[in-house]
Amino acid sequence: MARGHHLFALAGLLLALPATAQQTTEQRMQQLEKRLDDLTREVAQIRQEIDALKSAPTDLTNVQTVSNVSTAGASKVFNPDISVIGNVLGKSGQPNPHEFGPHDARAPLSLDESEMALQAFVDPYAKANFFLSVTHEGIEVEEGYAQFVTLPYGLTARAGKMKSMFGKDNTWHTHLRPWADQPLVIHNFFGDEGLADEGISVSKAFANPWNVFVEGTGEIFSGNVEGVFRRHSLNDLFYNAHLKLFGDINESSNLEIGASFARGALPDDRRGHNQFAGIDLTYRWRPLRQGLYKSFIGRVEAIVNDRSDSERRLKGFYASADRQLAQRWFAGLRLDAADRDRGAAATLTFWPSEFSQLRGELRRIRYGDAGRTVNEFLMQLQFAIGAHGAHTF
Amino acid sequence: MNRALVFSLIAALIGSGSLAAAEKLNVVTATQDPASLTREVGGDRVEVTSIGKGYQDPHFIEPKPSFLLLLRKADLLEVVGLDLEIGWLPPLLEQSRNPKILPGAAAYLDLSRGVEILDRPAGAINRSMGDVHPFGNPHYWLDPANAVRMAIQIQQKLAELRPGDAAYFAQRLNDFKLRINDANKRWLADMAPYRGAKIVTYHPSWPNFVKHFGLQVAGTIEPKPGIPPSPSHTLEIINLIKQQNIKVIIMEPYFDRKTPDFIAEKAGAKVVVLYPSVGGKSGLDDYFKLFDANVNELLKALK
Repeated sequence: MARGHHLFALAGLLLALPATAQQTTEQRMQQLEKRLDDLTREVAQIRQEIDALKSAPTDLTNVQTVSNVSTAGASKVFNPDISVIGNVLGKSGQPNPHEFGPHDARAPLSLDESEMALQAFVDPYAKANFFLSVTHEGIEVEEGYAQFVTLPYGLTARAGKMKSMFGKDNTWHTHLRPWADQPLVIHNFFGDEGLADEGISVSKAFANPWNVFVEGTGEIFSGNVEGVFRRHSLNDLFYNAHLKLFGDINESSNLEIGASFARGALPDDRRGHNQFAGIDLTYRWRPLRQGLYKSFIGRVEAIVNDRSDSERRLKGFYASADRQLAQRWFAGLRLDAADRDRGAAATLTFWPSEFSQLRGELRRIRYGDAGRTVNEFLMQLQFAIGAHGAHTF
Repeated sequence: MNRALVFSLIAALIGSGSLAAAEKLNVVTATQDPASLTREVGGDRVEVTSIGKGYQDPHFIEPKPSFLLLLRKADLLEVVGLDLEIGWLPPLLEQSRNPKILPGAAAYLDLSRGVEILDRPAGAINRSMGDVHPFGNPHYWLDPANAVRMAIQIQQKLAELRPGDAAYFAQRLNDFKLRINDANKRWLADMAPYRGAKIVTYHPSWPNFVKHFGLQVAGTIEPKPGIPPSPSHTLEIINLIKQQNIKVIIMEPYFDRKTPDFIAEKAGAKVVVLYPSVGGKSGLDDYFKLFDANVNELLKALK
């Protein structure tokens, strides 16, 4: 039987011989090259498998730790973490003399702000944070402070120029806002720059049996905030107090409640005080299992403003809802009220990656004093380079 | 008399409270994998809490103030390192009001310092490559040899912080080594027939895992780390699976199944949800159960 097979094979080979002889050397070369390629690939694969076998130690009782030495260049390790965020803003729609002057001639597209952040530990006790803002008006230290992180008694402190811990929106940098603009109440009461000044801020966390994070903050500033507070004499400081309560409702949702009170001297030549009281409420929902795709944040912030030179108490608030639609898509709504002005805004944001976001915002504001309504479309592109910053919360 | 009673009661309460606190070391970990290994080594001398849950993406844990309550009370903080926690841990630490656990301090343990790290980028990198980890792939715990390396570091740190219990920790580490050695032999034997098998993964979470079992990652569903699937890349992966006759697509439980399912259907492969972390689903309470489950799932799909 086996002999029969051999005979067949021999006959086949003999029949094939003439055909082989006809093949040109070139064809044979090609065949050989192909076989060589196949063999090389096979050898590489076998080598990989051997490597894999070698590196999978079957005896785990003898495994030792390895020593991973830091790979960063020694001369660079003490450089601060540097990042730059560009904010390109486009505006179109009706002219808005109330916000941009009687001859509203905004550029349709502008690099509104470039923010540079430099952050590093100074020593075992403090971290330095600098945020430089470059706009058409020049370069400005938006914030520059030392943050003391090793104080006893549950304290932390900041000293330098910084945003005051009043409410939520006032503490954010531009790129943290879920909108292309400021809410009306923040813009009208605190101005473009918000409540920021040179001073000292001290926070204390209070232990409690309810598993709620309770933090009280007291701040004293030198007393100059453009359009809000002005320092006329040595004692015209600006004070702020903030109480924050944060609790988990369950694993996916939580609630933050804040109360703030700020007081300083009137910004004009008249003597007297200007004070603000505010409450803020933030509800967050993000199911951990689908945290990349689904989330919701609802916010309300309300502020009342009393000036000693006016009988009238000014009130304002914003309420917003932001829903994550997909991994990279967010939609939001915001309602605004500030004294006699009313507004509404709708946003759609696309995050190509963690480091850039593109936003469109339709907003409609009715300016009460002028009796006029302005409709606008804002487009915003933000992009970040450099050190990986922490995510917002 | 009454007053004396009250005083002694208060004294007893305070005494017992401080005694209990002295007995158990309060360990907080970034994720549940170091937590599981710490329980193995620390036994009943440690109280372990993890910030991240095994079923959430460890890159995107939210820095909630409620975690500050945990961190403030921590005697030891263990992190995975390699920038895995960069998006959420630094702001928590700065507000933790606990200098002991700040990076570089005695009670801050970066477990990546003593393990085998893969995918360390050679040469210059930038973010056009996606969300690359400049110090190497942080999912290193998915190799039992690295689990031992982590356990050794944990034992050393626990002994340093609680010298009185050093012998206890050393004995528990040895016991863990023996048990994981036995389990590992079983896992390797089960997976041995599939050495060299090619797979596709969603995210590059598995280099240590596939290396340990001799599998090969032929491609990822994400075109670049952290970048969601694109239509053109999805087509490429479908072709790749067909050409190389790949049977299995591995994905993490916290990603969307839509694209992997679509690819599997078009290319004739099977989607397997593997759990990158302890606690990835209910029942995966420790490192052993995590590997048991993953090996079982993989075997079912590869057969």
